[in-house]
Amino acid sequence: MKTKYIPLLLALLLLLTGCGARQPEATRQIFAMDTVMDLYAVGEDAEALLTEAAQEINRLESLLSRTRAGSDVSILNETGTAQLSDETAALLDAALHYADITGGVFDVTIAPLVEAWNIHGENPRVLTGGEIAALLPLVGSHHLRLSGAAATLDQGCAIDLGGIAKGYASDVIARLYRDGGMTGGWISLGGNVYAHGTKPDGSFWNVAVRDPMDAAATAAMVQLSNQFAVTSGGYQRYFTAGDGTVYQHILDPKTGIPAMSDLLSVTIVCGNGTMADAYSTALYVMGEAGAVSFWSANRAEFDMILITADHRLLYTPGLAGRVTTEEGGAYEVQVLS
Amino acid sequence: MKSKSSPKLRPTFFDAIVVVLVAALALGSAWWFYGGLGRSGPATYIITHQGQEIARGELRQPREITVEGQYHLQIVCDGESIAVTHSDCPTQDCVRTGRATHPGQSIVCLPEQVVIKLVGSGSGPDLVIG
Repeated sequence: MKTKYIPLLLALLLLLTGCGARQPEATRQIFAMDTVMDLYAVGEDAEALLTEAAQEINRLESLLSRTRAGSDVSILNETGTAQLSDETAALLDAALHYADITGGVFDVTIAPLVEAWNIHGENPRVLTGGEIAALLPLVGSHHLRLSGAAATLDQGCAIDLGGIAKGYASDVIARLYRDGGMTGGWISLGGNVYAHGTKPDGSFWNVAVRDPMDAAATAAMVQLSNQFAVTSGGYQRYFTAGDGTVYQHILDPKTGIPAMSDLLSVTIVCGNGTMADAYSTALYVMGEAGAVSFWSANRAEFDMILITADHRLLYTPGLAGRVTTEEGGAYEVQVLS
Repeated sequence: MKSKSSPKLRPTFFDAIVVVLVAALALGSAWWFYGGLGRSGPATYIITHQGQEIARGELRQPREITVEGQYHLQIVCDGESIAVTHSDCPTQDCVRTGRATHPGQSIVCLPEQVVIKLVGSGSGPDLVIG
């Protein structure tokens, strides 16, 4: 065989293999913030980056947990006053903003009700009307005051950052991915997702939105790159009372009872994990009409996918071309305008 | 004037074999590089308990797995799906999650720190939310 063919064949080999070595990748699974978290990173030093990410998540939990002794949140709840870390103060400031913009539908002062219902815990129970009436006056963002990093809470009130802390953690980890030069990867912090960069072939990451009616099925697939996606719904965490009534875990701060939503799930897609977390909970409580109205007033900030109890799947135009659903699937698909 | 090439320099059948082999190697490498190898084949379940892998197998092979810890979980793979069919954990989220059938799906028991994850297959999602 002529030796002049050898360079040609080597060039072909390099061309078809992407002209380089496969990039290092790493995965990590941790239990934190009352959920399981999966992280996947592609890039130089991916393993070290995920070690740092795990440390960051644990650090944030030690600041933001309502149940961990010594956390900023625990101290504030126990004593009614606290000098917070700058980070906790900034997150509480954001929480107050989201409470304001959602008209109090998202509210971190809902903790007394969360604790009494205990739907996440080992002994959930149905509150009486009298108990709810006694607790509702303790809920409302006016009970929480911030002055720089100094926070005060009114007597008997408490905060729970469960509706926003994982979203904030996803923002922190996303920043690590960007600053660490990761070319791709994703994180999933118990339903809070961030998709970073692209896959090695340059395509976006495929994120499946679970079908609330059938855990084994997918309602839609959305392609993401450098964006966050958070889904809220009442179909997984709930408890069934003795009379057979199902009580799902997302409480309505206005009524003190589990949200009576006409939505099965809300998925928020945007460039801010904290906002996505807060809005997914709030829009679920608002129901379809409220969620669509809220999106119309704030459409520059986020996109969303709504799955309704009457078998419709609605998504916003910003996701056009990136959402796919099964032909003849369980839901009638509509694009909002 | 163009000279006729020597019979010694003409491509032979052996040369053609080498070209085909190199091209096949290149295509195979590209397929591997872009993730084909790692994501093809039948779906595989991986079960971890408190961070340690305790079971792994193909979804198409029926099997029952018991997890004993503070709580007791019964996991059934029926050849098409995998599910936690019984658990005495307090939240029951793992049982309510139902069946997992496609790569990317997972079932989690937080109280016992058990995670069942499905991986594999060519065109599935990279991750699942909800």
